Amino acid sequence: MNWPIVVVTLRGALGRRRTFLVALLAVVPVLIAAIIRVGGTSTDGAALTAGLLDALLVTTVLPLVALVFGTGVLGSELDDGTAVYLLLKPIERWRIVVSKAAVAAGITMALVVPSTLLAGLVVGAGRGGEAIAIGFTVAVLPGSLVYAVGFVALSVVTSRALIAGLLYVFIWEGLLAGLFAGTALFSVRQYVLALAGWLAGSDGKAIKSSVDAQTAVILAVVVLAVATAIAIRRLASWEVRTAE
Amino acid sequence: MTAGSSTTTSPRAPASSGPAIELSRVSRWYGNVVAVNEVSFALGPGVTGLLGPNGAGKSTLLHMMAGLLRPSQGDVRIHGRPTWHDPAIYREVGLVPEREAVHPYLTGWQFALLNAQLQRLPDPAAAAAKAIQTVDLGDVQHRQIGTYSKGMRQRAKIAAALVHEPAVLLLDEPFNGMDPRQRLHMMELLRSMAAAGRTILFSSHILEEVERLAENVLVVYAGRLAASGDFREIRRLMTDRPHTFTVRSSDDRRLASRLVASPSVFGVELVDGMLTVRASEFAAFTVLLPRAARESGITLFELRPTDESLESVFAYLVRR
Repeated sequence: MNWPIVVVTLRGALGRRRTFLVALLAVVPVLIAAIIRVGGTSTDGAALTAGLLDALLVTTVLPLVALVFGTGVLGSELDDGTAVYLLLKPIERWRIVVSKAAVAAGITMALVVPSTLLAGLVVGAGRGGEAIAIGFTVAVLPGSLVYAVGFVALSVVTSRALIAGLLYVFIWEGLLAGLFAGTALFSVRQYVLALAGWLAGSDGKAIKSSVDAQTAVILAVVVLAVATAIAIRRLASWEVRTAE
Repeated sequence: MTAGSSTTTSPRAPASSGPAIELSRVSRWYGNVVAVNEVSFALGPGVTGLLGPNGAGKSTLLHMMAGLLRPSQGDVRIHGRPTWHDPAIYREVGLVPEREAVHPYLTGWQFALLNAQLQRLPDPAAAAAKAIQTVDLGDVQHRQIGTYSKGMRQRAKIAAALVHEPAVLLLDEPFNGMDPRQRLHMMELLRSMAAAGRTILFSSHILEEVERLAENVLVVYAGRLAASGDFREIRRLMTDRPHTFTVRSSDDRRLASRLVASPSVFGVELVDGMLTVRASEFAAFTVLLPRAARESGITLFELRPTDESLESVFAYLVRR
């Protein structure tokens, strides 16, 4: 970790208008949860909480927030040329990647974790959905990390990381992972669901996942390690674009 | 054409007693496009100008020297160490890139301080303050860079590049956007840094800029090293090259026969009523033409040099 890089990356990320818009996105699940709570009469709080947190937080808000910050902290600097001021320094490339990924993951956690907890408690508290809410809240912590690091790596590999990330979230995870069992092994969403279900204990049966918790943890660690290695390797060989 | 390299031993060169910058048969291509073609030279302390028209390969060369581009072929070394894949060289090297992008939300002071911190200097604040003072940015150092003029941004970039007082400073079109006063100040600064034993290499497509600052030049054209060495020698080659003029007069045919008799004129052409003359020396021809016209009783209407662009000068140097 390199603190000057962390500080300047945080300033850059938090100063952008899109940060404000993404923060608003994180508020949406809480508002929807409040509407459901006020208007609904469901007695199966566990199922309702699991359905809401899966559909809104894990499937939509978490990957989108991680995508915006994961591709923004390093990829946008490589695109606009400001990254050369980091790269022209006697700093090991792994420190740059780790510092950038830590900021992306940290901001994602800061936005998604409170949103998950609040939305889960608003819709599930007093109806048997508390354990589900806590399970999801803890599970999105590693989920934020894996997504963020994955998208940081993607942004070093391609300048079209945002599009590639959207395709991964909505086509791979949203569509293919539900159709073919093998594709679920490479779905961060499935890791989060598996972990949340395990953390929720007996109430976790309400959370449907294509992989078991143990497999999810192992695969998440593998994905994290591979994505970090790819990002470091590609950054070390990154070449500036010249007009000539 | 002058000799292929100008090498001086750097008193501040930390790693070896050889040249500070050394390129050996370096090429760089993008697909089928050759941006730099078999370029070799060696540089020591002093100011060297990298001169060439836009698109000649200057930025590609500088980026390879700074380790931001991998040579497709050949070897790029600074103080004896290959620049590609070695972040440790940035303790000795500073680069001022041509692209203007600088973190707009930082102030000039914060930007210089960040660069000093990233260099892991023992006293980053003192180094940043010195760099800000050196580039004369003190008055606006606490304003965000996003509000800076082009010249101010350029100076902020230079402050960032020299905050660690590198032995080798590479600058890509450093005078872009600077007003004449800032330009003079920056030239003075680069001269003093060179006098202190540093190796300064700056690119420019403006001949006069290079002439005022650099003792040595490297002329690149179409990715090739067209000339290198003492500026005055190259300047003489540029001045003494064949010149082509178009002339309109009251009797082009008679003027052509009169001019071709002169030894300094080695070609005349009369096509579509337009007289084209090729002369060996610019100054001699401007004396010869009016004299020949007067002696023959011919009235001159128009005289126009046709190949005075810098590109044509570079092309001529490459052909030699």
